[in-house]
Amino acid sequence: MERTKAILVDITKCIGCRSCEQACKEAHGFPKDTEAKLSTTALTVIEEHGDKYVRRMCMHCQDPACASACLVGALKKTALGPVTYDKSKCIGCRYCLVACPFSVPRYEWTKLVPYVKKCDMCAARQESGQPPACVEACPTGASIVGWRNEILEEAQRRVLNDPKYVKHIYGSEEAGGTSVFFISDVPFEKLGFVAPPQQPMPTLSAAALADVPTVVLVGGSLLAGIYWITERRNAVAGAEAREQSEKKP
Amino acid sequence: MNGKGTVKKTRSNDHHEGHEGCTKDTKESETGRKWVMTTTLVPKITLWRVIVAVIFAAGLYATYARFALGLSQSTHLTDPQPWGLWVGLGTLCGVGLSAGGFGIAAAVYLLGFERYRPVLRTAVLVSFLGYMSVIAGMMYELGLPWRIWHPIVMWNRHSMLFEVSWCVMLYSTVLALEFSPALVEKIPFAGLRNWYLKQHHRILIGLVLVGCVLSSLHQSFLGGLYLLTKGKLDPLWYTPYLTTLFYLSAIPAGLAVTVMALYLCVRSLNVRLDTRILGELSQVIAPMLALYGIFRGVDLATHGALPYLFKWREETLSFWVEIGLFVLAPLVLLSLEKARNNPQFLYWTCSLVVMGFMANRLNVSITGLQASAGIYYVPKWTEFAATLMVITAVVLAFRYAVVYLDILPKNSPQPRWMVNGAAA
Repeated sequence: MERTKAILVDITKCIGCRSCEQACKEAHGFPKDTEAKLSTTALTVIEEHGDKYVRRMCMHCQDPACASACLVGALKKTALGPVTYDKSKCIGCRYCLVACPFSVPRYEWTKLVPYVKKCDMCAARQESGQPPACVEACPTGASIVGWRNEILEEAQRRVLNDPKYVKHIYGSEEAGGTSVFFISDVPFEKLGFVAPPQQPMPTLSAAALADVPTVVLVGGSLLAGIYWITERRNAVAGAEAREQSEKKP
Repeated sequence: MNGKGTVKKTRSNDHHEGHEGCTKDTKESETGRKWVMTTTLVPKITLWRVIVAVIFAAGLYATYARFALGLSQSTHLTDPQPWGLWVGLGTLCGVGLSAGGFGIAAAVYLLGFERYRPVLRTAVLVSFLGYMSVIAGMMYELGLPWRIWHPIVMWNRHSMLFEVSWCVMLYSTVLALEFSPALVEKIPFAGLRNWYLKQHHRILIGLVLVGCVLSSLHQSFLGGLYLLTKGKLDPLWYTPYLTTLFYLSAIPAGLAVTVMALYLCVRSLNVRLDTRILGELSQVIAPMLALYGIFRGVDLATHGALPYLFKWREETLSFWVEIGLFVLAPLVLLSLEKARNNPQFLYWTCSLVVMGFMANRLNVSITGLQASAGIYYVPKWTEFAATLMVITAVVLAFRYAVVYLDILPKNSPQPRWMVNGAAA
């Protein structure tokens, strides 16, 4: 995962034309109605915050909470960067929805055979060298795609050289780093961005999971030891009782 | 059944048995035709039976809604609140309240506390039925329940839920095996019966040991599921020690359920049990609750959650209800010696523990996540109905098991004339 793809969204350049939304719907064969929030048929949307337009989509974390949460491994971080979903494995437990620090995955609640829906950064298109549909459609260059390290450098260059930008690249530290970055001239918390932990999410449960072999070994042998002591005590008590009864008469 | 030949008997005569099924009685009439005689055609209508019937009717509609209309028609779950009552009550409480089985099994087989042996089968039965209810609940909860077997072949060792699912599968098997002698004893073939019981005796200690480790792991891991919700779950509940807290709270809650089940058996069935055992169990529950309370307090203090303890908000109120029911009230009540020796009093104290435990699990899974979800989740009535039906089915299964199998030491049934005499 040395060279992975990433998207940079420059909020100062977005004019709210919703070309990205439409391109996404086209690429996935969804109905073309404009939607206000992420949904099972809108994997990216433009949210209006005052006079700013904020694009929402899956952040494609470097070490994704959803992929660590999924018990059957339906969600995966691919070598190229996108976090993809294999619907043939999914059992519908929805732990990914609980786990996602950005509350991105959506569930097909109304369907009888429901699946999870989320942006896959057009993984198939990127495999064949094409950019994601949303980036390709952007007329102002508010969304650009490239190698993650180069995209991050570009974001840093813009933020450092232009004083209008907030001195933070959203996604550089959030949830331990993502593959989608945002830069803005308005503080992120005013644009509806959440502040997730600044560590890779899977590390939160990794420590507990790492304890499993210890618990099994130590707990198991402790219990076995206690059982041995109990048995031994009973055996000794039994033998003593026999001796007593033999001595008496 | 031949409608013409049925004869209704008076009620008083079928009262001696614990069940009022249709007892058939065939006899040849003079004409050579077979006459079917039943003592009762329709079961006696009692308040409890009406309630059970209503619960099952509602539950069956909820089942229809869930599988024929979908999750959106049967639940109020949404993307910000993807887990609701079925996970919070059905799974988290179902597994937690089933912790009595491994606790008592460990006490009897590993620690050698023989005095708990009379209640062992009850505890194991409660646990086994609890796990069955969790698995039944999963069929409602999962979006694609027919794929429930996927974790057996599709592994993700980084997933807490993967570990939970394997522990539930394995421990349900262990519980079934631990409980199996009660069923096998009823097999009429002595050879087969003895062979099975002999084999069972050989592996029993191993089973109990594996059961203890498995339950300890996944009681903790249910809390571990919420470790990933850092930043979403309210600071009153989020802590890296969620695993430890879930484990520490499950044992006293599981024992409390065992006490409640035993009390109900003694009260309503012909059971011969020294009720002092209930008092002894409660003396184990009290220090465990205290330990949990201390651990919880220290944990809250060290994670800087103390300022949240006295803010006027719904979360804080729910927190105090939980602590009051689960820790404070039971500790005060169990410290009264008179109270410990009164089974009925113990029963109500244990019901407080169980309610407090449920409050805790619902707070972690629903209340504590409400603010970050930004929506107010109130379960749809069908969610309650389905859960209630599963719980009722478990209670009924427990009742029939206790009546027909040798779960508890029973008094020898009294001759019928004595019952009639006493009633007259």
